[in-house]
Amino acid sequence: MIILIAAQSLFNSDRLATFLISLIAILILLYTTYFQKRKKPFTIRKINGLKAVEDAIGRATEMARPLLYTPGWGGDIQRPTTIASMNILSFVAEKTSQYDCDLVFPTHDPVIMSVAQEVVKESYSRTGYPDRYKEHNITYVSSSQFGYAAAVDGIISRTKPASIFLLGTFEAESLILAETGNSINAIQIAGTDSTIQLSFFIVACDYTLIGEELFAASGYLSGNKSILASVQAQDIMKILIALFVIVAVIWATIESLNGGQLSYWWKF
Amino acid sequence: MQILPRHYVFLGLFLLIGITMALDISVDVKVSPYTKKMHAYIDSLPEGSTLIISFDHEASSLPEIRPIALAMLRHSFQKNFKLIGVSLYPEGTLIGYRLMKNIAKEYDKTYGDDFVYLGFRPQYIAAILAMGESIESTYPQDYLGNDYNSIPMLSNIQNYDDIEAVISIADGSLTTHWIEYGGQFNIKILGAVTAAMVTTYDPYLSSNQMTAMIGGLRGAAEYEKLLGMKGGGSRGMLAQSAAHLYIIFLVILGNIFYFRSRKKGGKS
Amino acid sequence: MNRQIPLIVCFSFGLVMFLQYFSNHTISRSVNLAILDYWQIIFAFTLIIGVVSFIKVNLTKISRRIDRPYLIVGLLGMISMPFMALIWGIKADSPFMWMFENVQAPMASTVFALLAFFVASASFRGFRARSLQASILLGAALIILLSRSNLPLPYTEHLSELADWIRNYPSMTARRAILIGIGLGSLTTSLRVILGIERTWLGGER
Repeated sequence: MIILIAAQSLFNSDRLATFLISLIAILILLYTTYFQKRKKPFTIRKINGLKAVEDAIGRATEMARPLLYTPGWGGDIQRPTTIASMNILSFVAEKTSQYDCDLVFPTHDPVIMSVAQEVVKESYSRTGYPDRYKEHNITYVSSSQFGYAAAVDGIISRTKPASIFLLGTFEAESLILAETGNSINAIQIAGTDSTIQLSFFIVACDYTLIGEELFAASGYLSGNKSILASVQAQDIMKILIALFVIVAVIWATIESLNGGQLSYWWKF
Repeated sequence: MQILPRHYVFLGLFLLIGITMALDISVDVKVSPYTKKMHAYIDSLPEGSTLIISFDHEASSLPEIRPIALAMLRHSFQKNFKLIGVSLYPEGTLIGYRLMKNIAKEYDKTYGDDFVYLGFRPQYIAAILAMGESIESTYPQDYLGNDYNSIPMLSNIQNYDDIEAVISIADGSLTTHWIEYGGQFNIKILGAVTAAMVTTYDPYLSSNQMTAMIGGLRGAAEYEKLLGMKGGGSRGMLAQSAAHLYIIFLVILGNIFYFRSRKKGGKS
Repeated sequence: MNRQIPLIVCFSFGLVMFLQYFSNHTISRSVNLAILDYWQIIFAFTLIIGVVSFIKVNLTKISRRIDRPYLIVGLLGMISMPFMALIWGIKADSPFMWMFENVQAPMASTVFALLAFFVASASFRGFRARSLQASILLGAALIILLSRSNLPLPYTEHLSELADWIRNYPSMTARRAILIGIGLGSLTTSLRVILGIERTWLGGER
């Protein structure tokens, strides 16, 4: 009895469902990461925006113009989208170091700036061109939303990058940046987890990564098995959610056809 | 865009908005079910309820946010609610304080008894979560430097359990954080957001994770109508309607050019 | 070793924050509150990194004569605002507030207002009936715009209903699907960080 009371005070039973779902998610991720990845290689469907990444870097190199990469104003470093963006930055930086193309990275967050500097520096070292790394190209511009937008717009207008990567969490500044990029005829690859900004990017950019494609991007580009395994974990979870929704819809339909009250067991 | 230079499109919009704003004509609007729901919910709260009003915006969106915030404050003071003002963006802090102070004066409300302004706390996620544990620990002093304990209306306020609802007045996605993190504490979240963000919150509204929402200048105009007063919302409706029609005209024009160029076998 | 320590710290705090969420115990609540306090304090310190970097980068570029006028204005703003706040405070009618209300706010509003112009140009360029899908998108956009235009049209009532239907069904369905995908992506990325599988945030090791 004492153990039961102690356990009740330790565990908030209102959150039991969340706890169980979290455990399932962790187990699926561990399974795909440590067991499944040893088996046959896992491939991701063709994503046009990602196929264009190398072309965009090549274009900037051929035109002898810089490449601009910015993760948007809406996120900070703890946001998974920003971490996914850093993964893509790592790939892009490897390529720009090999092609000796200037990579300009303005951001609104000092911590993102520090992480991006490390990511880019590491990529340049990995490819054997540490001397091509320019720290002053990766800068903090302003924490204010439209201060950031004005600063990035200014950089785009003055340096006229041949390619622009808008990958991260964007808010109202998205269309301002994308249209400015369009006005200088830059090739633009965008991707965000902000559903409302996706509509702006789709209209104004050449390629748009929709939501989770951004998370899959780093695995797609690098072929990193751990990242690919987590994409596989997402797919398994998505199938489970879809099955759950289908069962709940059928259940609710049958209950309502029988004229009874809905049990709402799915609202745990 | 080559057919019609960008500058002409911009100039047309500028003139249209300038002229319609100068006319200063209020347009009658039909109140949407969303605004009615927001009004009805606030109206249904008992007098003396304590609400948090969070000014989650920057100075840039003030022309759109101000009428929305004023409508919310006026209704709340009319209903004799106790209001706690906070801000999760540094730029919104002073704006929020001034708006609260000015509207409180209209309704003869006393600082400390009827409303209080706690000000800004950095790291919005941490601030939202911390207030769920203890508002006093998160804000040991109010914006003016008074100790939390010395403020009469806060004597019985410990955390969200003592708060009826949070009204997040936002120009970005901060309301999402109130829903996702504040929602853990079973607090009702009301959104007063810019028009561009409205559809972002639709899924939360339909799942009842967000109780009610008004959006944009039109939402403000509708709310002003329900309150029986004229304000910035209704004054801006003519300009907004004219801008919508201008965009419809541009879309039609763009398609005419497109089909004409296709007929000629050229490229748009 | 310099990679191992951050990974251990990350895993420990990830685990503590995960476990405390499921507990109502007083110790768990106070641990949560303490971590949240430190989170805010650490965030305030990170701003110093930004300020130092901003000054350093701008001075370097000024000395190399890159974009000089812009950078000088930026630096002046960066120095003058805290200077005014320290000397005269940030109360109403202080020079800091004057700058905030008469320089910062109008400039930020101006950049925000650019959005309206860019929406106009993007609509003109982007909304073309190139295919069946694009035509459906175009039709939906026109219905939404017309329904929000307060025009005394004969079928305004039905138009508003149709616009609400588009917003509540096709639009929300797509949005929910995207949100589920994003949620799962966020979940797996967060788990990868906590479990130490994901190390890019440490500056590499893809």
